[in-house]
Amino acid sequence: MTHVADRSILVVEDSDEDWETACDAGAAAGVRSCLHRVLDATECLAWLHQRLGANAVSSEAPVLVLVDLNLPGVDGRTLLASIKADVSLRAVPVVVMSTSSSQRDIASCYDAGANAYHVKPLRYPDHLRELASIFDYWLGLNRPPGVGAICQ
Amino acid sequence: MGPNNPVFPVTSAASALPWAGQPYSIKRHGVSITNCDTEPVQTPGCVQARGALLVLRHPALTIAQASENCAAVLGHDAAELLQQPVSRVLGAAGAERLAEVLASDAVECNPVYLFSQTGAGGALLDAVVHTLNGSVMLEFEPSVPTAAAASGSRLPQGEAGLYAVLKFAMARLQTAVGLQAFCDVLTQQVREMTGLDRVMVYKFHPDLHGEVIAEASREDLPSWLGLHYPADDIPLPAREIFKRVWVRPVPDVSGALAEMVPLVHPDTGVPVEMTHCGLRGPSVMYTEYLRNMGVTACLTMPIRSDAELWGLIACHHYAGEKALSFQQRTACELIAQVASVQFRDAEKREQLQSEVERERVSQTLLARAAGSGSLASVVRGEISLKDVLPCSGAALWDDGRWHCVGQTPPLPQLAALAAWLSTRPEFDNPLQRLFASDCLSADFPAAVAYAELASGLLAVPLGPRPGGLMMWFRPQVLQEIRWGGNPHDKPKVVGPHGPRLTPRVSFEIFAESVRGRSSPWLSHEKEAATRLRLLAMELVVVRAQRLATLNDALTRSNDDLDAFAHVASHDLKEPLRGIHKYAHQLREDARIVDEDLRRKLDNLLSLTVRMDGLIDALLLFSRVGRESLELEECDFNAILDEALEMVGSRREETHSEIVVPRPFGRVRCDWVRCREILVNLLSNALKYNDKSPKRIEIGWIGANETPRESAPKEAAGQTVYYVRDNGIGIEARNQEQVFRMFKRLHKRDAFGGGSGAGLTIVRKLVERHRGAIWLESELGSGSTFYFTIPGASGGAA
Repeated sequence: MTHVADRSILVVEDSDEDWETACDAGAAAGVRSCLHRVLDATECLAWLHQRLGANAVSSEAPVLVLVDLNLPGVDGRTLLASIKADVSLRAVPVVVMSTSSSQRDIASCYDAGANAYHVKPLRYPDHLRELASIFDYWLGLNRPPGVGAICQ
Repeated sequence: MGPNNPVFPVTSAASALPWAGQPYSIKRHGVSITNCDTEPVQTPGCVQARGALLVLRHPALTIAQASENCAAVLGHDAAELLQQPVSRVLGAAGAERLAEVLASDAVECNPVYLFSQTGAGGALLDAVVHTLNGSVMLEFEPSVPTAAAASGSRLPQGEAGLYAVLKFAMARLQTAVGLQAFCDVLTQQVREMTGLDRVMVYKFHPDLHGEVIAEASREDLPSWLGLHYPADDIPLPAREIFKRVWVRPVPDVSGALAEMVPLVHPDTGVPVEMTHCGLRGPSVMYTEYLRNMGVTACLTMPIRSDAELWGLIACHHYAGEKALSFQQRTACELIAQVASVQFRDAEKREQLQSEVERERVSQTLLARAAGSGSLASVVRGEISLKDVLPCSGAALWDDGRWHCVGQTPPLPQLAALAAWLSTRPEFDNPLQRLFASDCLSADFPAAVAYAELASGLLAVPLGPRPGGLMMWFRPQVLQEIRWGGNPHDKPKVVGPHGPRLTPRVSFEIFAESVRGRSSPWLSHEKEAATRLRLLAMELVVVRAQRLATLNDALTRSNDDLDAFAHVASHDLKEPLRGIHKYAHQLREDARIVDEDLRRKLDNLLSLTVRMDGLIDALLLFSRVGRESLELEECDFNAILDEALEMVGSRREETHSEIVVPRPFGRVRCDWVRCREILVNLLSNALKYNDKSPKRIEIGWIGANETPRESAPKEAAGQTVYYVRDNGIGIEARNQEQVFRMFKRLHKRDAFGGGSGAGLTIVRKLVERHRGAIWLESELGSGSTFYFTIPGASGGAA
């Protein structure tokens, strides 16, 4: 039986500071080892395709992709849209993290199929708390596809 | 009149006429006004008693009918003349001469002078003959010595003089430039030739009413120039006759009439047609009308344009009988014929000129519009839309605005008119998308309100409805008419038919007939409007393309702004968060024990927080200016409730007192943004307040209530909303500065800090609602912020 916590969280983040914050939050939540980092959209898609192939419910599937909107090259929104447009990838939950609180950005991400949208808080403790809640929810409370079937 | 034509009315409708079923005679059947238009003026049954008429059989030349006054004129009793050869009257030589003339000359419908002979009492008579429908019409009238001109003329007398006059008149007519000058010369020349007291050119308008457009008269007579008369004043039968004869003399308006004996032709049983007889008996209505004006003699010539009656040369005499010789009348005929040809040419030339002029005006306007890039420019300048057509005012609806020149209905009425026009089927006619009316109030009853200045409307659409419109207005005819000194105030006399047959009443009837009417829009005017429309449409299309280009540019610049906002929120905030994070980690690091260092790190942290706030405010501000409003009817009370709730936490912790003196009404506004206005103003009122309790009043001043003295012009006529506090107040010199971006009047952390963008955003939000915002404040005792939201319908319902 595969435990959810054994599975990976893919963080698409080019900012070292924010990656460190994510690691801090992961360490605090006890899921530090699940976190994998890619720097941009191309790496992200390559990583996902390598894990998933044509099988969207493979046990290799990450339990969550955490995407920063502001990425070098192809931006986060386009990456999000590519994942959601790909039949083999679209079941993977994608959570957007962004500094933007603009309604336009939020709406366009949900339109593109985002599973959640979070505004990165400025204050470090707030940021840690926000990430910890995300990990709690997606690794603890939420049931990703494939996992439930195995548990039963 | 041919044998196939109705002789005397036999239809049932006509049976009500006094002469129904029997031959007509002016003498026997007095005519009433109601049947003027059916009076058989061509077969009046009577001649003017100053002369005599014999109707001869052709070619036998025996007398079939004779006027009853033959004894008095010719010295032969009419009854005795019947069936006799004409030689009884003319003598053998005369009869022979008559037969020669009939054989050789074109006398059908064309009276020809035969000779003069002595009549009863030795008076000299002119014999004039013409044929009609197989009868020979032989007229005798007293000879008049041919006077060439009115007294004082330098020209020679006699027939030679007449030709000299005629020649001179023709020469002068040919040199006259333009229709008006031609008419002026014409009246002068006819007056000179005839010696009659008043000579007028009377022009028929398209609705058949007449206007005196030129006049030459005895100096002591009041001018009738510019007077108008209803169409009825020249009844239909009279107009028909003027299409067939060139001169109509009535040398003695009060002269007696002599009936034909017998009244109908004995061979055919039909009344004799006198259309071409100089002696034809005039209608009683006509002579009574003339007498009522004081006219004693008159002469009328038609001015014809092709087959149509263009107008009349009407001559009046006021000093008793005034007969003209046959030669003089022939000269007048000639003048009328020449005038007709010249008129036709002159009118065509003037119409052509005015078309060329209109075209030139249209081109000027469009060149100007194209140059300025604005169609609206056509209502400005010395040459404007008003000059495209004869009109009193013009209006253009373009790009959501009215542009008017000259006299037009007021704007609200124009808007209603435009709305009505946009439903007209005429605008769907692919051949001519044009609406024209010379009685607008009949088509669109609301136009009664401005009938005086706009009874006539010509409108063309610009582009698909409800798009642009071009309109031209014409005033009610009555407003256009010169009523020169009211010369008809005192009728000379009033005949048995009462005052109807006076020019005064005529004018009143005319006035009634044209109430609410303008002069009609002529076909070439409609064509000019259509042409201008097509040219203007091109311009509209070009402008639409330019607008599309501009829109593209605007979209691009909006996209640039979006890109900026994106950069600002991500690229600026990301390093800021990094700075904050490291400062935080240093601050938490147990190794840093130096108090001064820790204080500096605290400051660094609060600076990053402040900068984050500034970036957020900047982003919000750029969004406020860019995103479109969602206007809807809102209950202002509900908006206020929400706003109060949003600032509620602050309110509870500060023990404030909120006062709303009276309920608000409904407002057309963007709910969320209006709430944002209130939230900002309310939180400022609470924030910059050191009193206890804090008191905030939110209220309104109706558009019809006494406005604040401080209110700017643009707030006039609007409901003014206000938020009043008892806070710290703002010094006068700082009152404008509070609206400036990031402008703070206080130390960074005083009054809870803040980005300093709140009021800038509030002003932007109010301005987006096309409203105004201003304030009144006194340092230490409080501030009141006033604002308007145009479209607001006022206070409580």
